[in-house]
Amino acid sequence: MDTVFKGEHLLPGQLGQFFVVLAFGAALFSFICYFFATQETVAKSDNSWLRLGRIGYWLNTVAIIGMGICLFYILYHHYFEYHYAWSYTSKDLPVYYLISGFWNGQEGGFLLWMFWEAVLGNILIWRAKSWEKPVMTTLALSQVVLGTMILGLQIGSAHIGSSPFMLLRNSGIEGPIFQNPNYLSFIKDGKGMNPSLQNYWMIIHPPTLFLGSASLVVPFAYAVAGLWKRRYQEWVQPAIPYALFACMVLGTGVIMGSFWAYESLNFGGFWAWDPVENASIFPWLVLVAAVHVLIVYKNTGHSYFTATFLTLVAFVLVWYSSFLARSGVLGESSVHAFTDLGLFWQLVIGILVFLGITVYLLISRFKEMPITKKDEETYSREFWMFVGAIFLGLSCFHLVLVTSIPVWNLAFGTKMAPPTDPVKHYNVIQASFAVIIALLSGFSQFLKYKKTDTTRFFITTLVYFGFAALVTALVVYATGFYKLHFVFIIVMLCSIYTIVGNGKILADAIKGKFKLAGSAVAHIGFGLLLVGALISAGTKKVVSENLTGEQYSAEFAKDENPKENILLYKNEPLKMGEYMVTFTGDTVEGASHFFNIYYKRIKDGKQTEAFTLRPNVIQAQGGMSSTPDTKHYLFHDLYTHITMTNVITTGPKEEEGEHGSESDDKEYDAPVAHEIAIGDTMTYRDGIIVLKGLNKNVKLQNIPITDKDVAVGAQLEVISHGKTYQSEPVYMIKGRAVFDFGKKIEDAGLKLRFTKIIPGATLADGKVEITVYQQPESKKKFIVMKAIEFPYINFLWAGTIIMIIGFFMSILRRNKEVKTV
Amino acid sequence: MKKSSIIGIVVIAIAIAVIISTYSNTSTYGSFNDAKSTKSELHVVGRLNKTKELFYDATKDANYFSFYMKDNKGEECKVVYNGTKPQDFERSEQIVLTGKMTGGEFHASKILMKCPSKYQDNKLNVTEVSAKKSASI
Repeated sequence: MDTVFKGEHLLPGQLGQFFVVLAFGAALFSFICYFFATQETVAKSDNSWLRLGRIGYWLNTVAIIGMGICLFYILYHHYFEYHYAWSYTSKDLPVYYLISGFWNGQEGGFLLWMFWEAVLGNILIWRAKSWEKPVMTTLALSQVVLGTMILGLQIGSAHIGSSPFMLLRNSGIEGPIFQNPNYLSFIKDGKGMNPSLQNYWMIIHPPTLFLGSASLVVPFAYAVAGLWKRRYQEWVQPAIPYALFACMVLGTGVIMGSFWAYESLNFGGFWAWDPVENASIFPWLVLVAAVHVLIVYKNTGHSYFTATFLTLVAFVLVWYSSFLARSGVLGESSVHAFTDLGLFWQLVIGILVFLGITVYLLISRFKEMPITKKDEETYSREFWMFVGAIFLGLSCFHLVLVTSIPVWNLAFGTKMAPPTDPVKHYNVIQASFAVIIALLSGFSQFLKYKKTDTTRFFITTLVYFGFAALVTALVVYATGFYKLHFVFIIVMLCSIYTIVGNGKILADAIKGKFKLAGSAVAHIGFGLLLVGALISAGTKKVVSENLTGEQYSAEFAKDENPKENILLYKNEPLKMGEYMVTFTGDTVEGASHFFNIYYKRIKDGKQTEAFTLRPNVIQAQGGMSSTPDTKHYLFHDLYTHITMTNVITTGPKEEEGEHGSESDDKEYDAPVAHEIAIGDTMTYRDGIIVLKGLNKNVKLQNIPITDKDVAVGAQLEVISHGKTYQSEPVYMIKGRAVFDFGKKIEDAGLKLRFTKIIPGATLADGKVEITVYQQPESKKKFIVMKAIEFPYINFLWAGTIIMIIGFFMSILRRNKEVKTV
Repeated sequence: MKKSSIIGIVVIAIAIAVIISTYSNTSTYGSFNDAKSTKSELHVVGRLNKTKELFYDATKDANYFSFYMKDNKGEECKVVYNGTKPQDFERSEQIVLTGKMTGGEFHASKILMKCPSKYQDNKLNVTEVSAKKSASI
């Protein structure tokens, strides 16, 4: 019990833990003070509650930064006595991956979330003016709830939160090693980072995503404040820029994640409809819908309830998606969900707190809400914006419904399983929503705010639609997209229509009506994103089709074609689609094992291009992870990915002792003896061998050759798969004994022995016997690889960037409109 | 009728359609026995039988992998997967297969495996492999 452990660095952890408690306490204090500050009804207040609230929030911010510094200090110095450092990092990890080790675990994720919320809170203290008290109350409450997640308090058998500063020996890992006061000297290194996370996108994707999630609290807080303080109409305007900001950042974060998925190819592309991926876009979809309805309300006074409802629900969905990702509930259906850290019920409480506030305010204030009884104008932009927003909400509803199947099972005791082909299921249904949303974001731009001239509208709409149809026909024909389900062609049409229609608006905007430029740009980006996603996912193809595989049973071959992996032996070129590919060798750099794959494209007998790709395989945490290498073209990307190899093994390495020639022969197939004369050629499985000549002046290491001895070398040239190797096995008669010294050509998998000299009548008639040993196929070095071509993926990325620019322009515009009191 | 009521009705109709289509698309978790009696794809949860041979020989066919799995009811069946052997397959604690029975063999189109490491591990090592990645749309 009272063991004194040697070599531990307890100070940073104790300091960190102090900051954890301080952050929680300060947030709670700030929440209480802001709450009373908001409730104050005295006309002339001395603002003491407000000041206390601010102090609490600042203290909270300082504590969060302190925690971050402590945690990074621990990671940077490799203090493996801490569970966090031990679990996610190791000594050979470069510093930039230490940074991503920071948010590798759930605790770090919460810390990041709290940090961003602290930053946003400080901005609001500075800028929110009369909104500060109620808005900050909500932010402080959110900090309190987040603070509990990392508290790491043990109360009896229950524990609240999971602290990043937990010591390894307290982490629940049982082991006699922890009885030893010297245990640390046995822990040489951490477990290291999951190899699939060792990617530069993992350094910036999580902070961006968490900033996005954190910033959703601001529009939520404004909506709560508006309802709470009965300032029903005023909250909308200041909330819009923040909501746009949240849309922009969250969208960027999600796309960065899909960049990572695309680059590391762990999920077969940029989007796989994995439950965790879906969960990350719930709040985005709803918030984008909310922004549209907020603007509708601001312009016309319609749809107040919908606008408020969507803004509030978007934030509740942030908590729901973090529940899905972190509670372990998705264990059987998701590839990258976390396990339960014992936070299941805490996360549920998190959702309930914010859901409770939402429901309470919506019901208690419903009667007072400024809801218009007047009907909306059919030919107004606002009406169709509203319809579009509803469809965004429905698309989110569908995602929530399917993704939550494990939750339904848990709640209702059912035993449903997700669709067997989820990608197809999501694609078809979500494509139907995309049709409507893309169509609406195209034509509603032609409508005027409030009221439009009908005939003119129909004419322009139809003209542009016709034009879009023409472009679509061209694109569909050029990309081979017509082979797909018709729904996707309609989505394509509508997306192109969005681009074309908004292109016109953008052109008008540049001429003068600059106000609309932001939305036009954002919608063009959205359209382009859809087009890129459609073509790329729809027409991507596996280049490495294997047509040689043996058939195990007729039945198997019948329904399981085409085969997507090919086998490459070292230095044996293989034709793959338009390319000749060769596995030329491998190099080891740290934990990464690179494979060089040489590509040569041949068209009409001429070589048009040649390049080498270097996919790698990382070994860490006792597993292997394959990272592809990509050749980027303007209009497509070519991926190469190692799926299997016999070059590296995860098992213990076999002792490579000195093999005698006897045991060595076992490595090869049964030898074949050839009797040949000089200049003759013999064939073997992988090429030909030519006897160039005989060398009578051979020198052998360590064996002196006297005049009485005979030593002859056979100069052999091996031509295999376009490569030439020289080899000279030696035949020797020393004293009365006959020896021969075989030579190996590792790269060609050959061993050659000069086994006999057969004298002839003349010198030219003389023949020699060469025995050829070739390695069986399975002993040769090989890789199994997969190559995939993703066409037009650049549209997707370009669309994303354009959309982000559009959001940014809109933020600037909306921010100008805000006149905060 | 007011437009908002029309929208309301449309929304409800679509929501119901979505629920129905989702429900009809859900599959079931079953056993190998269930798989024998149905022609549609289903999920089977079970454990790898580590005492029997895992067959994968890239030099014969890089896209053929077979093994024996015991489902949760204890029934054992040969499973054939049309792809490379997933890395660290031997370490898996639990396997979720998606596929159907063909002849006496279960043909898996997707394998999801969980490999909890020696100690508790925050990040569950769940890996999913799919044989039909090219047919994504």
